[in-house]
Amino acid sequence: MDSFDSTTKRFRIPLLNDSVSAGFPSPADDHMEENIDLNEHLISNPFSTFFLRVKGESMINAGIKDKDLIIVDKSLIAKPGDIVIAMIDGEFTIKRLSIKNDELYLKAENHNYPDFSFKNHIDVQIWGVVIYSIHSYL
Amino acid sequence: MRISSNDAIALIDANNFYASCEQNINPNLKNKPVVILSNNDGCIIARSPEARALKIKMGTPYFKVKEKLNKLDVAVLSSNYSLYGDMSRRLMNLLKNYCEQIEIYSIDEAFVSISRPNDKNLYPWARNIRSLIYQNLGITITVGIGENKVKAKIANKLAKNIDYSAGIFDLASTKNENNYLKRISVDKVWGVGRQTSNWLQSKGIKNAKELRDMEENEIIKKLGIIGKRLQLELKGYKCLPIEKNKKSKKEIQVSRSFGTPITKLEDLTQALATHAIKASEKMRSQNLQSSDIRVFARTSKYSNQNYQKSAHRKLTNATDDTNSILKIVVELSKEIYNPEYKFSKAGVLMQDLTNSEYLQQSVINYKSQKDLKKSSNLMRTIDLLNKRFNNNAITWAITKTPKSWTMNKNFLSRSSTTDIEQIPTIVK
Repeated sequence: MDSFDSTTKRFRIPLLNDSVSAGFPSPADDHMEENIDLNEHLISNPFSTFFLRVKGESMINAGIKDKDLIIVDKSLIAKPGDIVIAMIDGEFTIKRLSIKNDELYLKAENHNYPDFSFKNHIDVQIWGVVIYSIHSYL
Repeated sequence: MRISSNDAIALIDANNFYASCEQNINPNLKNKPVVILSNNDGCIIARSPEARALKIKMGTPYFKVKEKLNKLDVAVLSSNYSLYGDMSRRLMNLLKNYCEQIEIYSIDEAFVSISRPNDKNLYPWARNIRSLIYQNLGITITVGIGENKVKAKIANKLAKNIDYSAGIFDLASTKNENNYLKRISVDKVWGVGRQTSNWLQSKGIKNAKELRDMEENEIIKKLGIIGKRLQLELKGYKCLPIEKNKKSKKEIQVSRSFGTPITKLEDLTQALATHAIKASEKMRSQNLQSSDIRVFARTSKYSNQNYQKSAHRKLTNATDDTNSILKIVVELSKEIYNPEYKFSKAGVLMQDLTNSEYLQQSVINYKSQKDLKKSSNLMRTIDLLNKRFNNNAITWAITKTPKSWTMNKNFLSRSSTTDIEQIPTIVK
């Protein structure tokens, strides 16, 4: 990894501790791999990836629930069908970028929430594309 | 075009970096005037373009403009270095992918080297990198390109001052370089300090072009090799290389202003001890050890008292051990204390740093290997725990923080990009 990227230094908790030396050496010692690191698997552009937290149920039909952890990659260009984070009227909003009658709009994945039309709004910014949502079942 | 060399150097810096970091992660601040205050909420050190437009000046003490800012509905924030540090790291790493070498020059600027394409035109490269950084981080950068560092700096200034430049200026591709150099006054040339600038002005040298064409002997007589190098760079030679691996720091300083001035020895010692712990931690994280430990304290620059004192201790063996350093700092704090004065700032400096990996124990003061290992194990454990469970999970009893001397950070925004507990919320 990059030499001056300090955040890639993280704690890895080894599965076995090699200081336990009593008895026979484990036949698995030679096959110890590093542990699975979700950062590595979920994030391909670490320098443009940010985390956000969902509040509310506006995206429930897309499987995104209250309190879910959202991973956003800002380097991606949003295309129709993507779930995006937008900055609208001083707030972060999560919606699906959709297209109807040749016109882009932001669709709420919950019938109780309004869609958002870009018409009549100047101050809208698509902030990033959602690449994962993480839900806790505990 | 009169470009001869294929290599170019660009100075890339972020515009209104601190304010942009805040505005990018907090939708509430988007398109609003924002100012950032220095440590201890002292004065204004950064402004968003919207705040600039309101003619709010850099360096203004906050208390003087508090009401005005309130009336103008300006968002006021304490400096949030965990956010700026993280965004800086992202910025530099992204830039690295688009150049050959990079020298990080400060939190928001870097020199990069880049080869010119066949048509010598670096504008497409600069436009690309500029839109990429905006897309990825929400930060606008300025790109100044030249044959060397001094000219890249000048080009960056021009990029900011020329309306049609759109944040990019290549000084080496202009037909009339002289006209542009004339626009840069000598005090704005990189490496020209106030004294040098005064001397140059007294000689009638007002701008970068006149400095370049000045009598060489005269400049060498006054400024030596540094002056000669500066002049050569202005002439287009490359004297100052990109320093890829900058030398490690010569010293580590931890100092803070007090929320309210302190007068008691006890408070001073406590503050210095806290700084000493932080400084030792910093040293260990960089594998450094110090053999010269200094403490200092001073009264406020704005008060009628004018007192400052420092004291230091040279050590036979360099150390990074918090316990040993604390003992020394506590003793030193007595030396600089004076009951007559109200101290507004104090700090510790770890000087004479050496890399602990190559450290040799002196024969005279030989500590047994076992003791040494014990203390370094303890320190490592503490660092690990503090890293794991947030700062100061474990600390030394001497530092129980009283409110009076901790820094004022009344308007601190969240660590939105580095702390899972503080990430932004999507409300709709």
